[in-house]
Formats: sequence, structure tokens, C-alpha cells
Amino acid sequence: MTVKECYEQIQGDYEGVFARFRGDERIKKFAVKFLADGSFESLCNTLNAGEYEEAFRAAHTLKGVCQNLGFTGLFQVSDKITEELRNHPGSYTLSMLEEVREEYQKTFTAVQALKEEM
Amino acid sequence: MEKKNRSREKILIVDDSEMNRSILADMLEEDYEILEAADGQQGVAMLQKLGAEISLVLLDIVMPVMDGFEVLAVMNKNQWIKDIPVIMISAESAPDAIQRAYEQGVSDYISRPFDFWVVQRRVVNTIMLYAKQKKLIGMVTDQMYEKERDANLMVTILSHIVEFRNGESGLHVVHIQTITELLLESLQRKTDRYPLSHEEINMIVMASALHDIGKIAIPSEILNKPGRFTDEEYEIMKTHSSVGASMLRDLSLYQQEPLVKVAYEICRWHHERYDGRGYPDGLKGEEIPIGAQVVAMADVYDALTSERVYKKAFSHEKALQMILNGECGTFNPLLKECLLDVSGQLQEKLEESFSNVKSEREMRNFAEEIRHHEELGASNRTLRLLEYERMKYQFFSSLSQEIQFEYTVSPAILTVSEWGAKRLGISEITVNPWENEGIRESWEKEEIQRLRETVLQTTPEEPVFRCFCHTKIDGKVCRRQIVGRVIWSEGEKPYYTGLIGKVIEVLEEPENTVNQKNGPCSEVEIERSREE
Repeated sequence: MTVKECYEQIQGDYEGVFARFRGDERIKKFAVKFLADGSFESLCNTLNAGEYEEAFRAAHTLKGVCQNLGFTGLFQVSDKITEELRNHPGSYTLSMLEEVREEYQKTFTAVQALKEEM
Repeated sequence: MEKKNRSREKILIVDDSEMNRSILADMLEEDYEILEAADGQQGVAMLQKLGAEISLVLLDIVMPVMDGFEVLAVMNKNQWIKDIPVIMISAESAPDAIQRAYEQGVSDYISRPFDFWVVQRRVVNTIMLYAKQKKLIGMVTDQMYEKERDANLMVTILSHIVEFRNGESGLHVVHIQTITELLLESLQRKTDRYPLSHEEINMIVMASALHDIGKIAIPSEILNKPGRFTDEEYEIMKTHSSVGASMLRDLSLYQQEPLVKVAYEICRWHHERYDGRGYPDGLKGEEIPIGAQVVAMADVYDALTSERVYKKAFSHEKALQMILNGECGTFNPLLKECLLDVSGQLQEKLEESFSNVKSEREMRNFAEEIRHHEELGASNRTLRLLEYERMKYQFFSSLSQEIQFEYTVSPAILTVSEWGAKRLGISEITVNPWENEGIRESWEKEEIQRLRETVLQTTPEEPVFRCFCHTKIDGKVCRRQIVGRVIWSEGEKPYYTGLIGKVIEVLEEPENTVNQKNGPCSEVEIERSREE
């Protein structure tokens, strides 16, 4: 699978990230680091514990990472939950996290596949 | 290019996401040395440790423990932001965040997602801009330094010509300058009736060297006559003040120069008396410019305490007494108070060698110039000195195998020497130490409270303190002595800004002191070092 195909699978912004990173090699190098990034896990844990301020920061970090890597789908949902947690932490519902989880898993699987071909 | 030879500039990346840090590091590590901090507090600790060795900070906003804006606040408070440029990199798209960042002094703001090439260009530009600015500041300060040195040199040569003819040692002019400076500084502390800026004081001090230039026109038979003057000779001698003044007045092109104006006043009126019975004009009280009043007093003091062809030297105390009793002319009562106030320092300063006095004053003037040109900030020269001191300190403290520490109140940061940190089991740099768990484990609450009380009992005059405490060393509670020095701010109402010190072993006690921990932590022992 090429980097481009990987991004197509997750509706990522391949052109954008290619322009910013100047080449597939570098995209790949950092895209696979996403697999080890702990911000999603941290988001789940903090939400479970009801620590909304920490959760906000985790969501914010996740959003930033996705933005850099052009993971548009995951970026959109993490951006949404970030703003919810920033503005109305009390109105958080489980479905918001589920939305993020779904996109996260999709992205994770695609990037995992990319990594295995390296 | 010689790029490879020079040591690489350091960039500090402060971002809580390891991924973001590594992307940024990847972009920059080819040309720069990259330092990373995972939150604001670690970032501040690194800035505290390395200071202006860091050429640039890339700063995220949303971070745990201490966010980007708090880091900027600390950088502003410590004025680090003047020397270390900051580029904010954030996914924070809210316009007010961007505005706030610029208002807090960041050089640039890069939004995520960032472009590889744009980050590289902006980083290079910002570092180059600051480097250029520092270079220019260095050039300007060097020139100012040269200029002031040359001017001082010319004045010194000129006044030596006069003294040489006079058969004097050459120290008279230096003494006059030293006394004049001490008196003027004391006067500024005492009253605001004669408001003088640092520049004006420097000017008077420099001009004071010229007070006797008129003596060049006095025949040397009179000038160097060992015995008493006849009335006629005395009248001729007295002309030196007005002659000196007219020499300066004849410099028609330079009448507007402040130095010439001040020197004119000093030459003409340094033999006036406060009661109006002096010469050449019989000016009275405040009609005599303050510069001339001060130089007159300095001149009398130095004449009294020096040996001359016609007299022996009086002691410092005797000279002081004679001036205060009005045996050698009348002076402004405020100046008499000043003379009394500085009398202790006076003797000490005058005893310092010629070269010492001279170069020290030059350096001080130079430093003052810098301080009065705010836009210049800290010059390259001072930065280099600071870096050198820092390096020296770190080297010696690493050799000494002592538990040395430094604490600053704002921001509250405790820095412990490398070896000390190891033995105490805490990190080398701790932000907000009183809220830190490791520190709380090492010291009992009451111990910290006692230390605090001891510290608060010091004064700017007696800043050294000693106290005993129990602390965990290598995991074991031991009784130790803390010797420290409290740092007080300058100014009229000094406040406590931090302390430095070390933890030392208590020699006369056996090592096994663990049991003491159970009892209430005993005595507060403050022994001012002075009493020893």
C-alpha cells in the first residue's frame, strides 16, 4: 500500500500533508509514530475518571497530531470533542467518545497496514 | 562555509506531544541542537538552567502542569523574552489566543498544521534577526565604551599636565573625582533638591578633573613656592579659577557642550564659599552651582589630607573635623552631612590604587550607559560574562561534591547542584518546590517552616544565616546544618528575592541520628556568621 492509498482509506488530506512534509518518506516516518501516540488512550482514561480538564488537553493533543499528519477524519471528531470539553465539560456524553473511537480505530488499522509494508 | 565548525545553536521545543516534538526536531536537527521539554514547567527549568545559551524557543500553548502562556509570563517577568525569541506553534486557532501570544512578546506564531519548509524558514529568520540585533548592540556598546574611554583619557592627560607643573603626585585629580562622585551619590540619596541623572553625575565627575587647569597660567615660582605667599602672590594665585574659566569660554565652537558648561562652572567657582566670602565672584549659597560646591569640598578635603611643599598631611579624622567645624571655609550644610555619611567609604576608596579606581569607574560608567539605554537591553558583552560565570559556577559546583542550592522566589524555582540532587533524591530543578511531593518527603513541614522563619529574620545588612535541620540524605534522615545567604533586592525598600546556600555535615555529632526524627524537631538555632 502506498502512502496515498493509506490516506485515501481514511479520507485523509494526502495532498496537503505531502505539500507540507515534502515527500512520502517523511510522511511515513511520522505517520507510523501515530501508532505509539498515547493521547487517545489518555483521553479515554481521563474521561472515565471524570477528569475533564485533563481530557480536554488529551483531546487537544490528539487533534494537533491529526492536524499535522492530515488525518482529516480523526481530526474532525477530535476537534469537536475538544471544543465540547473546553466549553461545556458537563455536557459530555459517551457517544462523543465513541465517535472518536470509531475514527481512531479506522485510522489506526490503515496506518498499521502501512507500517507492515515498510 | 564554516557552519560545521561553530557550535550549533540550541532550540528548545516545549510541547506535551512527543510526536509533535519529534516532527519539529526532525525539521531542525540537521542545523541545530534540539532540546525538548514535555510541559511548561520543564521548559522554564531549562530556560533557568541554560539562559541565553538557548537561541530560540518553540512553544505550544495547551500543555499540562504549566501552559504556554504561563511560560511566557515567567519569561517576561525574568526578562528572558528580551534575549530569547519565542515562536508559538499551536493548534489553537482562536484569534484571541494568537493576539495574546503576540502581546506577550512572541516573535512569530505558526498555526498547525505546519509546513515543513515554512517552519524551517521562520526559525532561521528569527534566529538570524536576533543574532544581527545582538551583533549591532555589541557594536554600539563597544563604540560607546571606546568613546568614553578616549574622553576620560584626554581629560586625564590634560589634568596631569597641570599637576605635573604643580609638582603634585598625579593622584590629586583621581582623588577629586572619587570624592566628588561619592558626595554626589550621597547627595542624591539624601535629598531631591539637586536632581541629577547618572549622566550628569558622570559629567561633573569628569569635569572635576579640570578644576585647576587655570594654574597653567600661574608662574611656576609662585605655584611651587615652599613658604607663605605674599599678598601680591596670593592675588595672582587666586586668578587661576577665572583664568581656567576663560580658557573654556574661549572654546567658542563648543560652548553648547554639556562637559564644557559644567567644567566652566567648576573652574570658575570651586573657590567660592557658601557664605559669599569666596572668590572670584563672591557668589553665595545656592548661587554656586552644585557641581562647583561639591568639587570645592573635595578639593579642600584632599588638600588637607595630602602633603604639600608648605604643609604636612592631616589625618582623615582631623581633616573631617576641620571641615565640619568650618575651619576651612563654609559649606552647604547638606554637603557636610553627605561628607559625614560617606566618611567611612571615603578613606577606603582613596586607599585603592590609582588604576583600580580608574578602571572601576570606567566600567561603572559604561554599565550605567547601558542601563540608561533601555533599547540596548543586555549587551553581548554582559551576556558573555554571564554565560562565563554560569559555566564557572556549574563547573566548580560539580567538582565540590557539596549539596549546594539556589532558590528564587519568583518564579519559585529550587536549583540543587547535580551531586546534591542525587543525594537528596530530588531533581536538580524543581518549580514550585513547596508543592513538590519529593521535597515534602525529604523535609518535614515544621522543618520547612523553621527554615522559613530563620530566613525571614535576616536583613540586607546581615543576610547570612545558619540553621540545623533534619533531611533525607541517601534515603536516610540525618541532621545537617544549612548555611545560606539571602538575596535582597536593590532599592529603598529591599525585599527578599531568593537565597543561595549549602547543606553541610554536622561534624561534632555521631552519624546515627535517625531516632531524632521521632521527637519534635528541636531547637531553632540561628547563629549569625558575624557573631562567630
